[in-house]
Amino acid sequence: MNGKRSFGGGGRGKAGTQGGQQGKDGQRRPMFRRRKVCKFCADKIDDINYKDTKLLMPFVPERAKILPRRISGTCAMHQRKLRTAIMRARQLALIPYTAE
Amino acid sequence: MTRKYELVYVVSPEATDAQVADLHTQVEQIAQRLGGKIDKTDNWGRRKLAYEIGPHKEGTYVLETIDGGGELMKEIDRRLKVSDLIIRHLIVRIDEEQSVIDRTRNRRTESSRRRRIARGLPPDRQPGEGQRSDMEDDDRFDLGEVER
Repeated sequence: MNGKRSFGGGGRGKAGTQGGQQGKDGQRRPMFRRRKVCKFCADKIDDINYKDTKLLMPFVPERAKILPRRISGTCAMHQRKLRTAIMRARQLALIPYTAE
Repeated sequence: MTRKYELVYVVSPEATDAQVADLHTQVEQIAQRLGGKIDKTDNWGRRKLAYEIGPHKEGTYVLETIDGGGELMKEIDRRLKVSDLIIRHLIVRIDEEQSVIDRTRNRRTESSRRRRIARGLPPDRQPGEGQRSDMEDDDRFDLGEVER
């Protein structure tokens, strides 16, 4: 069910292919997107820890900048926690500040 | 009123194991002198640094969990700053965050139990019972392409 991808959005704004749940958004745009869900809420991850680089790495893509909320879909609370965790990990050279 | 702190320090890769152990005892001594104690120590071993720090490309990471007061951590911070062998260190207070995490976790399990009981189910999830096992191949978070 790897459906059509919407243009733009860095390949991340997926076109949803789930039937039934296409509500209001689908009407307006020709290409509707899947509603983004906060990863931490969905997976019930309470602890965003700076030591857990495996968890943090997907949120610092190639340029090593923190992935904005509008793209990752993370909720405000978790984005805030994520940010402190990433900044701490950077201090300890677990995560880069920039990519060369 | 003791607090819990986490201390991570990165030791220069040139340091021998004995020197790393020595640093640990130094920290321990300071802790004891100022009425704290080391809860646990975890040596992560040698890791590659995400960026070069001076001439170093890798370092030995050591994590210590310390019970103690702010004065103690101040002293440890000062000592680590002066030390030549240590290239980076970080002190974080963890007791408050930990209690928040525990609270949310408890609240979640309790509410899920209550809901399950209300539905006439046993309070804990049975093995083999999954809400949405079809989520496994979900591509919502295929941000994995950034792996380097």
